[in-house]
Amino acid sequence: MRIRQEDMATYGIIATLALALAIPFLSDSMFILNLLVLMLIFIIFASAWNLLAYSGQGSLGHAAFFGIGAYASTLIAAKSGLSPFITIFLGAAVAAFVGILIGLTCVRLKEWFLAMVTFGFAIIVQTLTVSILAPVTGGWDGIASSRLINPSIPGYQLIEYYAVLAITIASIVAIWYIMKSRIGLAFLAIRENELEARAAGIDPVRYRLLAFALSAYLAGVAGALEIHHIGYLTPELYGVENSFWPVTYVILGGLGTLAGPIVGTVVLTIIWEGLKATGLTFGRYVIVGILLILAIIFLPRGLVSLPEHVLEWLKRRRKKEPLPKPAGD
Amino acid sequence: MDNLGIFLQIIFWGLYAGCIYILLATGLNLIFGVMKIVNFAHGEFLMIGAYITATLFFLTGINPYLIIVLSMLVLIGIGAVVERLCFRPILGTGKLNEIFLSIGLIYIFQNGAAMIWGDSWQSVKSPYDGITVPVGSLFVPLDYILIMVFTAVILCGLYLFLTKTKIGMQMRATSQNRKGAMLVGINVERIDVISFGLGCSLAAAAGTLWIVSGQVFNPYMGSIPAIKAFAIIILGGLGSIPGAIIGGLLMGLAENGAAFLLGGIWKDAISFIILIIVLVVRPTGLFGEKGE
Repeated sequence: MRIRQEDMATYGIIATLALALAIPFLSDSMFILNLLVLMLIFIIFASAWNLLAYSGQGSLGHAAFFGIGAYASTLIAAKSGLSPFITIFLGAAVAAFVGILIGLTCVRLKEWFLAMVTFGFAIIVQTLTVSILAPVTGGWDGIASSRLINPSIPGYQLIEYYAVLAITIASIVAIWYIMKSRIGLAFLAIRENELEARAAGIDPVRYRLLAFALSAYLAGVAGALEIHHIGYLTPELYGVENSFWPVTYVILGGLGTLAGPIVGTVVLTIIWEGLKATGLTFGRYVIVGILLILAIIFLPRGLVSLPEHVLEWLKRRRKKEPLPKPAGD
Repeated sequence: MDNLGIFLQIIFWGLYAGCIYILLATGLNLIFGVMKIVNFAHGEFLMIGAYITATLFFLTGINPYLIIVLSMLVLIGIGAVVERLCFRPILGTGKLNEIFLSIGLIYIFQNGAAMIWGDSWQSVKSPYDGITVPVGSLFVPLDYILIMVFTAVILCGLYLFLTKTKIGMQMRATSQNRKGAMLVGINVERIDVISFGLGCSLAAAAGTLWIVSGQVFNPYMGSIPAIKAFAIIILGGLGSIPGAIIGGLLMGLAENGAAFLLGGIWKDAISFIILIIVLVVRPTGLFGEKGE
């Protein structure tokens, strides 16, 4: 029996979509529904981070865009009375604009330098939020944010789930389209070899800025969705933890792949909630840290490459061939 | 107090904070010089060093300035284990992997420490608490002066180690040319372990000196100083130890000046603003010769 890889991917997508649509009918627990909404939001966030990493830029301060999207959307909704479904995308545009600004300072920087500047940027934004902008943002206390769906509507959580699911699917389709298009190819070319990309007529600065803007936009959408779902926001949104989660999800799932952020977020959320049942508090983070390091060392292409490794291993076993030394990729 | 007094006060605060940053940045620089990696989790070693000192101090009551030696020795061991288990397997697989690995280490160390010691704020009372020394018109706590002396002694010791001992010279050789060092028979992997351990022990010294002055600490204390130390080595030029010393002092002065002029909330943000300005104007750092 031979399974073609493309077929497997198609079946996987259909199964995942069917499951995502059916889950509210399989379980009527509000807790699980709430968890799923947050998981979907983090899938968008992780995918946004992954898109930037796809162009070779690793950010350690994506919480900044997450938070800016959230604040901008909340404030626009409060001032104009627009529905959160519209302000989410306006707030994200603010995040994208700031993304271009920070991208402008980063275009010449790589690797650690970029990681440093983005990390510092999140701290600077948090400081601004609680100092100069405090009259608008409410400082450390935060402000209330209008709900995505009015809680007085019966079954509002179900509507909210499907709304977030629709936005998540739209975001992933958009990312898939970007990765497949000339833009995605240009991102790849810059990541692999900037000099050759330049020789092929690709302007690295322009595409780097574009990657920053797109990634910041989607991160802003995720941030706005989260606070309109919760109904309240504080400057904690800019915290280091929010910058590290998307990195952890993506690395575990598979860096630079479309499915990686989704697989990583789902698997890690299940592990995380499963560990919660055992009563661990700090131990959960220790386990996540160990998983992350193990993945980096032993599974550099993430969980999405696991089926390949298993198939390879089975094939070799059948042929009774000795295992080759693990390739150092 | 007159303006001059306030000014001197800020300078002293800055010098004291600068000492902690210098030790952290020098450790990072040592590791970077030899292995060409940057460990974002370096601050976690500062935190572990601080907790080891505090625990021994609470248990035995020995002068914490003496425990610093033990804390540094323990951290050499921890650093060596981390290098062997985590960094060696990914050496040469790409710079981004090092950053991601550091995030894993941050999770493990911060929360491991919280599991052992709890996550509440603690503090250590120095035996010299309350003793001040007049310097000009100012009364400076004895602890601050001791911290500066200790930093100077540790840096001199490091200088002698790097220039006079065989291992120190091997480290410098490896840092200048790794392949060349291999060719002349230096076991570079052993040098990696030693440099990483040494860098971590400098972080432990920084952690110990940080808490003996009465600063409160918890398991999450390390990340911000480490990132600042990293900013400092970028300011001073990667791999340049004199650059790290000057950068550390400047950073300590700048952030205490900003905290005084703009308010305490700006203390952390100001170092990154400086960093971004420097990187935009001079991407190779203030003293660096060539950028990475």
